[in-house]
Amino acid sequence: MAATRGPGAESPSAADIRFNNVSVRYPNGFTGLTDVTLSIPAGQMVGIIGLSGAGKSTLVRTINGLVPISSGDITVGDYTLAPGRRQLRGRALRDLRSDVGMVFQSFNLAKRTTVINNVLMGRLHHTPAWRSLLAAWEKDDVELAMQALERVEIVSKAYEKASSLSGGQQQRVAIARTLAQQPKVILADEPVASLDPPTSHVVMRDLQRINAELGITVVVNLHFLDLARRYCDRLIGLRSGTVVFDGPGAEADEKVFENIYGRSLTAEDVLEAKAEL
Amino acid sequence: MSTAGAGTGPNASGTPRNGLGGPGRAPAGRPAKPKSAGAIAVVVLILLAITLWAGLGIRVDLAAIARNWSNAVANIIQLTQPDYGFIPKTFPALLETLQMAVIATAIGAAVSLPLAFLASRATNPHTPLLRVVRFVMNLVRSVPDILYAAILVAVVGVGALSGIMALVMFNIGIIVKLVSEALDGEDAGAQEAALAAGASWFKADRAAMLPQILPTFASQTLYTFEINIRASTVIGLVGAGGLGVLIDNVRNFFRYHELSMIIFEILIMVVVLEMFSAWLRKRLV
Ligand SMILES: Nc1ncnc2c1ncn2[C@@H]1O[C@H](COP(=O)(O)OP(=O)(O)OP(=O)(O)O)[C@@H](O)[C@H]1O
Ligand SMILES: [Mg+2]
Repeated sequence: MAATRGPGAESPSAADIRFNNVSVRYPNGFTGLTDVTLSIPAGQMVGIIGLSGAGKSTLVRTINGLVPISSGDITVGDYTLAPGRRQLRGRALRDLRSDVGMVFQSFNLAKRTTVINNVLMGRLHHTPAWRSLLAAWEKDDVELAMQALERVEIVSKAYEKASSLSGGQQQRVAIARTLAQQPKVILADEPVASLDPPTSHVVMRDLQRINAELGITVVVNLHFLDLARRYCDRLIGLRSGTVVFDGPGAEADEKVFENIYGRSLTAEDVLEAKAEL
Repeated sequence: MSTAGAGTGPNASGTPRNGLGGPGRAPAGRPAKPKSAGAIAVVVLILLAITLWAGLGIRVDLAAIARNWSNAVANIIQLTQPDYGFIPKTFPALLETLQMAVIATAIGAAVSLPLAFLASRATNPHTPLLRVVRFVMNLVRSVPDILYAAILVAVVGVGALSGIMALVMFNIGIIVKLVSEALDGEDAGAQEAALAAGASWFKADRAAMLPQILPTFASQTLYTFEINIRASTVIGLVGAGGLGVLIDNVRNFFRYHELSMIIFEILIMVVVLEMFSAWLRKRLV
């Protein structure tokens, strides 16, 4: 399987991600991240955990410039995200973003159009404006989109309306959309928070397989600790915008979790406990 | 209303129960209910004053209706007896009205779609351009259709062309307003995903927002077509082509049997086309 050529397989040089003393201050003055320094080598699968409001979404959204940083800098492969006037913008920002796929909690599909049209959005960066206007997609791009759908085992739905799919299927279409980008990194912001437990495992396994087979770096925000420990090589714990834990899942014991969460674990924090209810 | 004591009034002892408090004072931790009654009263008073002023200003002369009564009765009787023999002579004008409405709707819709994307904050991140487009669209919308027709007849000349141009302006005003507002309220999730994948705003709007908005756009276009059928008869009164021109002619010569025939035809045409358009819209959305 690992030998099959597919979307992402020929991604040239993998991209390391480095945070150097990164802080984020929102326009209303709220500090979302404080002095974060991190290094994520290419090919790793990293889970970000922390309470609601800890800054997980802020952290992953700085990596593709959806949230601008206020100090420090972030390097993603050859690109550098900097604050203020040195901000990455225009063409350079779009080039970076085409290397970084993003999966959202609420799937973010255009529900009134077909699955394949949604996946093709991952090719927009490489498509000339006139082709996008006329939806005159290049054959190679359609082929790439089909292969991406095959990888998440949902190609049979290619010509169906996105709205007719279940939540789990929609999230796999969203993953296929990122694969169509042939990205070096995939960011996932609570990708299973809107799904039931069995479907959550399907989606997490998809991400894990993509990481293992294609060597794409995966940075995933997770609410449930057991999921994070089971699927990720490494966990990063955030609390009020600062990194309070960084290490392999095996090292993250009760004590560490109490430090990240500021309280002892409850059934709310693990998926299996929720499933048993 | 036998729900006494359920917090709707003071209870027997007169002491407020725990947590309910007196009027206006919220229990600890809960926000006080915003006071809006005063503001509403002021608005109602202002509206009343405006209405009174309007009524006094216009000096409605009810006596005139009585004075003209005998005349009116004769005219009304004529109007109830349409001249069916006149039908063939109305066909060219009827056809012209229909053609004007179709062409104006098509041109208006085609011009409106890109303008609607420029006029919505959800699809146009360029604030100065957004402001300019919105300002111009407000101007376009503030001119009534009959005024467009009057101006264009003066500039372009009498005939269907000025009528079509007037309707196009009128349609742009409506469609851009309705579609850009629909865009404002549309879920921007897919657009965010496209932008995050490195697409430009133009491509993201095209790929993620256009499919979401198409049913609304089609439905609003059909709606303006319905309005155009009616409007194209009215703007004809100032010489901009179609049935309106014919109405003006027969009315000036007090040929009320023929006038009533035209009105009857318009009624049938409007009802039939609205039924057709409603049927089509149901299939689209
Ligand atoms: N656009 C914004 N403007 C101001 N404050 C914001 C903005 N976005 C997020 N915040 C604040 O920054 C903090 C971190 O938010 P973030 O969304 O990163 O948290 P999170 O860990 O992803 O939480 P959740 O689990 O609820 O998604 C929160 O307190 C939030 O209120
Ligand atoms: Mg979040």
